[in-house]
Amino acid sequence: MGDLLVQPLTWGSFLTFTVMAVLFLLLILGMVTYGIYFERKILGWMQLRPGPNRTGKLGLLQTVADVLKLLIKEDTIPSKADRPLFKIAPAISFVPSFVVLATIPYTDKLYFANLDIGVLYYVALSALSTIGIVLGGWASNNKYALLGGMRSAAQLISYAVPLVISAVGVVLISGTMNMIGIVERQEGWFWNWNFLPQILGFGVFVIAAIAELNRSPFDLPEAESELVAGYHVEYSGFRFAFYMLAEYVYMIAMSALITVLFLGGWHAPAPFLDFIPGIIWFILKFCFMFFFIIWLRGTMPRIRIDQLMSLGWRVLLPLSLANIFITAIVVEIIKAING
Amino acid sequence: MMKGLVKGLGVTLRNLTKKKVTYKYPDEPIKMPNRFRGVQHFDPEKCIVCNQCARICPTNCISLTGKKNPDPESKVKLIIDTFDLNFEICILCDLCTEVCPTEAIVMTNNFELATYSRDELFKDKEWLAANNTNIREENNVSLLKAKRGGAG
Repeated sequence: MGDLLVQPLTWGSFLTFTVMAVLFLLLILGMVTYGIYFERKILGWMQLRPGPNRTGKLGLLQTVADVLKLLIKEDTIPSKADRPLFKIAPAISFVPSFVVLATIPYTDKLYFANLDIGVLYYVALSALSTIGIVLGGWASNNKYALLGGMRSAAQLISYAVPLVISAVGVVLISGTMNMIGIVERQEGWFWNWNFLPQILGFGVFVIAAIAELNRSPFDLPEAESELVAGYHVEYSGFRFAFYMLAEYVYMIAMSALITVLFLGGWHAPAPFLDFIPGIIWFILKFCFMFFFIIWLRGTMPRIRIDQLMSLGWRVLLPLSLANIFITAIVVEIIKAING
Repeated sequence: MMKGLVKGLGVTLRNLTKKKVTYKYPDEPIKMPNRFRGVQHFDPEKCIVCNQCARICPTNCISLTGKKNPDPESKVKLIIDTFDLNFEICILCDLCTEVCPTEAIVMTNNFELATYSRDELFKDKEWLAANNTNIREENNVSLLKAKRGGAG
């Protein structure tokens, strides 16, 4: 894949790119479908109940049935709503989450783009999703949607800061923002993976990532049982499905990013396990992160908006700054020792 | 705060391996406790047509008629002729079984009685006599005390 990217663009390679992009989109849609299914199943099992098990064998067709239901619902737009913004907001929310998936390396051969500024690009695009949410809240012409949208924007912006700063610690250790480079410096045994040297950064990054995803315990903007769905309260049918799709694709993208930055990407935990292909290790680690996010949802109660803000600015930001200082000092010391 | 969170994560993780509490009804039948009040069972042999059940019924769903006992030797003056129970308004309150001196009318544990037409909800003597599965053990409390030797 990489060599195709550096050659001049011909009709053949353009066709290859298009076909691979479409296949990838279909794969992601399939992953979202079964991601939702597994979330409901795992949450159910954690709550001592079986989760969906009637539609299709073992409930496997439940999400398909739900998506079908959403697709055939009436597309209601409030009469005083801002129509163009209302229509475009879910798309703005979804597109960045899918586009960032292109920059993540799944193995050393399997990637869509090899950007030297991979981490920066990822962070910049993920901030774009915020615009979609604020637009959705504003365009609905509903004060509760606006309130939810504003809260969500505040949450996303305040947690984007510790997210980026804790990622800088990883960049400092690896010396490059290129994601393939970052993974390559984590080879060897599992204690080489970045989560151990950067344990503080790892903790801050995971918490900030869960807040960025609007997932429990930080899901007050969405607040299924409280704010009546916050910024997407006026959305029905397919547009609502788009917001849900955006959330789950972003969850996949964030789990993949955490795997690449902190958990060693496609490397095996021990060198003698190298015979198992890298993609399997990537999938295993990614699935573990996905499970952890769902596990946290099943365990913790929701955090209030003011507690959320204090946590973001007063705890995570100083911790991530401290992480940068400590990392920089240790890197300089090691450089000085090595001459 | 962190310790509580980690303990909570452990609890939910262990819950993954525990048995589910969901009842698999209607794939598996539910066994009701014995004192559960379901639809009634009527034994015409025991009825003495005292009319107590019809009098006490809060919704007046029981209506019965009796006829002279053709057997001159028995002590029972009247025997039951028709016994109709309008199950649409029966509230399964169990008062009819509490007052019946001979335990002719008792409750069973059968509750799956949904029908497609109202006609089938008008239970007559034959239906109630035939409904003799899952009968409750304790019905009339005073007779119970007598059966158990009248203690206290």
